[in-house]
Amino acid sequence: MKAIIKFTLVLLGILFISCEDPVSVDLNDAPPRLVVEASLDWEKGTAGNEQTIKLTTSTPYFDSEILNDVLGATVRVTNTNTGQVFVFQDQNNGLYTTSNFVPVLNDTYDLEILYNGEIYTATETMTPVAEIIEVSQSLEGGFDEEILDVSIFFQDPEEEGNYYLMRFIEEGDLLPVLETESDEFSNGNLIDEFFEKDGDAGTQEEEFQVGDTVIMSLYGISEQYFNYIDLLIEQYDSGGDPFATTPSRVKGNCINLTTPNNYAHGYFRLTEVDIVSYTFQ
Amino acid sequence: MKHILIVFFLLVSSQLLAQNKYSVRGTIEDKKNGETVIGATVYLEGTSIGAMTNEYGFFSLTAPEGTYQLVISYIGYEEIRTEVVLNANQTLDFEITESRTSLEEVVVTADGSERVNIREPQMGVTQLKAETIKQMPAVLGEVDLIKSIQMLPGVTQNGEGSAGFNVRGGAADQNLVLLDEAIIYNTSHFFGFFSVFNSDAIKDIKLYKGDMPSKFGGRVSSVLDVRQKDGNSKNFGLTGGIGVISSRLTAEGPLFNKKGSFLVAGRSSYAHLFTPAIEELKNDKISFYDLNLKANYEINENNRVYLSGYFGRDIFNIGNFLDNNYGNFSGNLRWNHVFNDKLFSNLSLIYSKYDYQVVLDFVQLDWIADIQNQHLKYDFGYYASDKLKLDFGLSGINYRLNPGEVSPTSETSPINYLKLDQKRAFEGGIYASAEHKLTDKLTARYGLRYSTFSRLGGQNIADYENNQPVVYNEDLGIYEEGEIIGETFYKKGKSIKNFGNLEPRLGLAYQLNDNASVKASYTRAAQYLHLLSNTSSVTPLDVWTPSGPYIKPQLSNQYAVGYYRKFNDNAFSLEVEAYYKDVENRIDYVDGSDLIGTNTIETEILNGEARAYGLEILLRKNKGKFTGWLAYTLSKSEQRALGGSAGGPGINDGKWYNTPFDRTHDLSLTGAYKLSDKWTFSTNLVFQTGRPVTYPNGQYEYEDLSIASYSLRNEDRLPAYHRLDVSAIYRPQNKKDRRWQGEWVFGIYNVYNRRNAASISFNQNEETGINEATRLSIFGIIPSITYNFKF
Repeated sequence: MKAIIKFTLVLLGILFISCEDPVSVDLNDAPPRLVVEASLDWEKGTAGNEQTIKLTTSTPYFDSEILNDVLGATVRVTNTNTGQVFVFQDQNNGLYTTSNFVPVLNDTYDLEILYNGEIYTATETMTPVAEIIEVSQSLEGGFDEEILDVSIFFQDPEEEGNYYLMRFIEEGDLLPVLETESDEFSNGNLIDEFFEKDGDAGTQEEEFQVGDTVIMSLYGISEQYFNYIDLLIEQYDSGGDPFATTPSRVKGNCINLTTPNNYAHGYFRLTEVDIVSYTFQ
Repeated sequence: MKHILIVFFLLVSSQLLAQNKYSVRGTIEDKKNGETVIGATVYLEGTSIGAMTNEYGFFSLTAPEGTYQLVISYIGYEEIRTEVVLNANQTLDFEITESRTSLEEVVVTADGSERVNIREPQMGVTQLKAETIKQMPAVLGEVDLIKSIQMLPGVTQNGEGSAGFNVRGGAADQNLVLLDEAIIYNTSHFFGFFSVFNSDAIKDIKLYKGDMPSKFGGRVSSVLDVRQKDGNSKNFGLTGGIGVISSRLTAEGPLFNKKGSFLVAGRSSYAHLFTPAIEELKNDKISFYDLNLKANYEINENNRVYLSGYFGRDIFNIGNFLDNNYGNFSGNLRWNHVFNDKLFSNLSLIYSKYDYQVVLDFVQLDWIADIQNQHLKYDFGYYASDKLKLDFGLSGINYRLNPGEVSPTSETSPINYLKLDQKRAFEGGIYASAEHKLTDKLTARYGLRYSTFSRLGGQNIADYENNQPVVYNEDLGIYEEGEIIGETFYKKGKSIKNFGNLEPRLGLAYQLNDNASVKASYTRAAQYLHLLSNTSSVTPLDVWTPSGPYIKPQLSNQYAVGYYRKFNDNAFSLEVEAYYKDVENRIDYVDGSDLIGTNTIETEILNGEARAYGLEILLRKNKGKFTGWLAYTLSKSEQRALGGSAGGPGINDGKWYNTPFDRTHDLSLTGAYKLSDKWTFSTNLVFQTGRPVTYPNGQYEYEDLSIASYSLRNEDRLPAYHRLDVSAIYRPQNKKDRRWQGEWVFGIYNVYNRRNAASISFNQNEETGINEATRLSIFGIIPSITYNFKF
């Protein structure tokens, strides 16, 4: 759906005598906040016992050398259905890991972090996902008919209210491309999502070539996480252009019980994920 | 209706009895083409008795028996003086002639003539004639009414390429834009780059910035009243122009043995205008066109009918990516009837529609939406006496809104058919207003409008748990959609929710001396339709939504005071106005609101409030070789939304924040210099404080991306906006008797190539992963050339 809003911008870009150039801007810097990247993703066909939670702090927007790993925090996750507790070990590099996690679809888990004398908590349910049933490449699928694109196909279940996160990354690229989908307009249908890179001079993206390999992940996510990540992606992609929604604070589900105003960025998510790798032919 | 009439007759009867009084009425037309003249002054010399012609060129004066010099004046035209012996009621029609010397002068006046400017209680209004607008430098030479009003104090734009305009810190949807009385829902072509008004078809415009006469209702910020030409009733003529963006052709001439006239005007941009230059887009088509139509017929002295129409369209056809088209359609049938020397009436039947279609080929989706209305109104002007003029009337508007219909474009499309609920509503209005000369120095205008709005059935309305469409999530500190517990179906014709509002409008003018006056006014207005837009810029795809069970009507109060003065025999004039306004129930959008494709808009919004205040100064030079104006505005515009029944602190922590239309300083200078009969030069200079925006206040890593964090809303600003434009008009031959007359317009927009930021976006470089700020600027220096002709 976002595409509908965005096409205005696309038009604007192509249409006019417009011009883009880098500028330097003085920004106000907010004090650092805890950033929780607690993505407990269970890949189909694996045990899902190896899990990592990453803790960092936020930094000024233009800082490029970042030393912000959070050390010395206490991290644990509890399955509220079974009462089982999983303690994540501090690896002294911002990562907290466990190798005995037990993922159960549709079970609800609590996250508890003790950091700087403050307690952060979050609650989330592990959400299943449909499997990727087909991957195909074409020229016609994307925006441009002369450029290779790749599509994944999956079958949306009968009942309404399924939400998806897609992550595409070409081997060798620095940054992934994230997209969301809900079944709001396509409930119960075979859904396809394409991934294409345009080779415009304006961006540094290069078009897909034969031999390129792409890794594509399809996550099943909760509605609340969809609302969060959808907004996050939209703000990331638009970066404040005038035809996108005015940017705003995006709050995740990690609450600071000790000092509520000092909430954490990031999210505690539990998903099932299907991952495929595809090489263009 | 009858009762109202009786009340007014009673009101004025006391004055009628005192003395033998007679009236003179008539119509004033331009001798050259028979166009009726709006806002010409007619007065009896040596008295304070005077009137201005209305939208149909009609006037009526009443004075005690006697012999008078009747003077008709209109800036840019030769004055007419004639002796009238007032011993009976009479009808006198006049034709006025453009004065030779002022042919190419900038003809701008504040509401007609100098006399009335000072005396009339009407505040915050500016009239511009099409000639003035045509003379101002424009982007790519494309004459633009909307851009020219932005040169006036208190009027700003929300960035180049943004549709609409903002008046006194108000949003674009708070402007009532009327083309021959028909509501125009979208004023722009090309997503805001050009206006929908073809200047060749326009006679004049009037912008009311807040002190709205009682006959207008339905919007809280302003009224832009655009009147089309009637068409030349003397001779057949062709007018046209060839520009960089578009070409225009207008045909006009007499009809029915000069008992009437017609005008047909067309304008079309060149298809493939921008696209052939870009290899990838060579098969794409981007264009707009519009068509204006006007015809009138004088049945007899007391009856005249008018037909006017407008049809405009924008077409975007981008490869296999998307098809998009949108446009306005309107039609208006009017009947002017003069009951007697004192009572003028106009009955209008109006239809307006705005619709758009988007076809996204790559997701195989077709989306259409529209808003349309039928509008019936009956307005009366009663010229009761030399001291009292009454306006009254009623109006009814029937709306049907179709917020969206989504269809798959092929068998294999993953899209399911979906039709959002059609919405229906009826807006009624009844008003009466008096302009009353209380003493020689003091004139009052007092009016009352009563508006009603009924949201009508034919749809389901969602019911929410605890009657809360939006709920504050205490734990996460965010606003979320309420829980739907059921739906109520309302049958067609049954009302879902009714509103009624009294809207008093008051104005006082006190004349200090012949050259100066002070005025004060109060206006209350109600607005029942809202344009939903949570982006910084208004786009053609924004959805209008009516008030209803969960969306309240916007209510505004505006207070204004002003000082008016003319110097040097009206060669210069000065207008200073200060205003304060507040708007209740201004819709505000919760963080992360999604307005597209939802039946339950109420789950994304809170009813907030807005306030704005400012000081406006307008200094004009009206006569001489150099004419023009300097406008300066100092202002503030803010909004906030408290949690209310949704709980929590509200949007933006419930704090006041700058609206996107807040401009601390706004300075515009526009001028024209007539060097000779052949050459006229003109210029615009604009300076504005930058638009409030929200910049990042930090970053964090998530999903291997650098995510920007944001603070409270609109705490930052874009860099200041400024630019200088110049243009020169060259008229090769000056022979008046030649049928063919041509002129060349050379223009340079943004002379010093200022890169004004339309936006600054913050993105992570895909290659290096480093965060960058990027400025998007739209119009750099743009030269243009246009050829206009008259035949």
